[in-house]
Amino acid sequence: MSNDDYLLAALRLAAGNDPVPNHVSAAASEAYSLRIPHVVTAASIECVAMRTVRGVAGPTTVRFATDDVTFDLELTVNDGLIDVAGQILPYPGEGSHVDVRTPHMTMSRQLAGTGQFAVTGMPPGWFNVVCHRPGKPPVATRWLRIRP
Amino acid sequence: MGDPRAVAELLAAATDDDRMAWDELVARFTPRMWSVVRACGLNDADAADAVQGAWLRLVENLHTIRNPAGLGAWLTTTARREALRVLRRELVPLPHDIAEDSDPAAAILEADAHRLLWQAISSLNEPCRTLLTLMAHRVGNQQSAVRLGLPLGSIGPSRERCLKKLRTLISPEETVQ
Repeated sequence: MSNDDYLLAALRLAAGNDPVPNHVSAAASEAYSLRIPHVVTAASIECVAMRTVRGVAGPTTVRFATDDVTFDLELTVNDGLIDVAGQILPYPGEGSHVDVRTPHMTMSRQLAGTGQFAVTGMPPGWFNVVCHRPGKPPVATRWLRIRP
Repeated sequence: MGDPRAVAELLAAATDDDRMAWDELVARFTPRMWSVVRACGLNDADAADAVQGAWLRLVENLHTIRNPAGLGAWLTTTARREALRVLRRELVPLPHDIAEDSDPAAAILEADAHRLLWQAISSLNEPCRTLLTLMAHRVGNQQSAVRLGLPLGSIGPSRERCLKKLRTLISPEETVQ
């Protein structure tokens, strides 16, 4: 892509004939409520889209990590909705839980002793996963966008 | 942006739990972010995702923006990267792809130079003057060819040549914030 994107955008902005839809501004405003105090953000370090032996698109796996926590997420599109199966390693301890968040809803899951969790039927779009650990700051993945 | 200090102040206030400051940033910068992602060729739904993604990146990086006065350029650069990621169907940025450095060309948008742009376009010869005006109004290549009486195949190269001329005309302002 060239920098003409910016020039073209400036021209169209100056022409004023492609106004921002209201729902786009509303979504930008609502993003503010998704802040989490003292959160540590885990960087994405690996993303693999798997295919079945017949070449059909399968789950996508994504790994996020900080110095002391790793998130392994497996994302599957199922009838237009998103299923997330994940594991937090090492297990953050008793009383810990994860929030799987979209801009509009949060689904909480207590973590099993293996650190595993699952959420099904999420709407497509943006989401992230936050791990709350007793006595330690929460850790969040970066936001991911998944659409069928 | 007329007053870069105001942006830095708004960012500091938003970081400090001031929702009105955040909404002011949204009102100020979303139109240019929208224009950038649309210029990348995204449809309405994907463009909405890309702009939302850029604001979510700001939520992720709210405490670590290195140059608060340059937030507008950071947001437009981030929106463009999210747009390209949508086009490539990438889920998430990898660590090397963090929008810390803004593209100098984004300064065209930053300068908010609408009047300057139209002045520059008016000073161009034909067919550039009309072609760029048609582009600004999202008129397609075929219709532009008819209106200008040019072969369809010449519109692409003409467009490139005209944008290059326009860029040259406004280049001193490109570097001025």
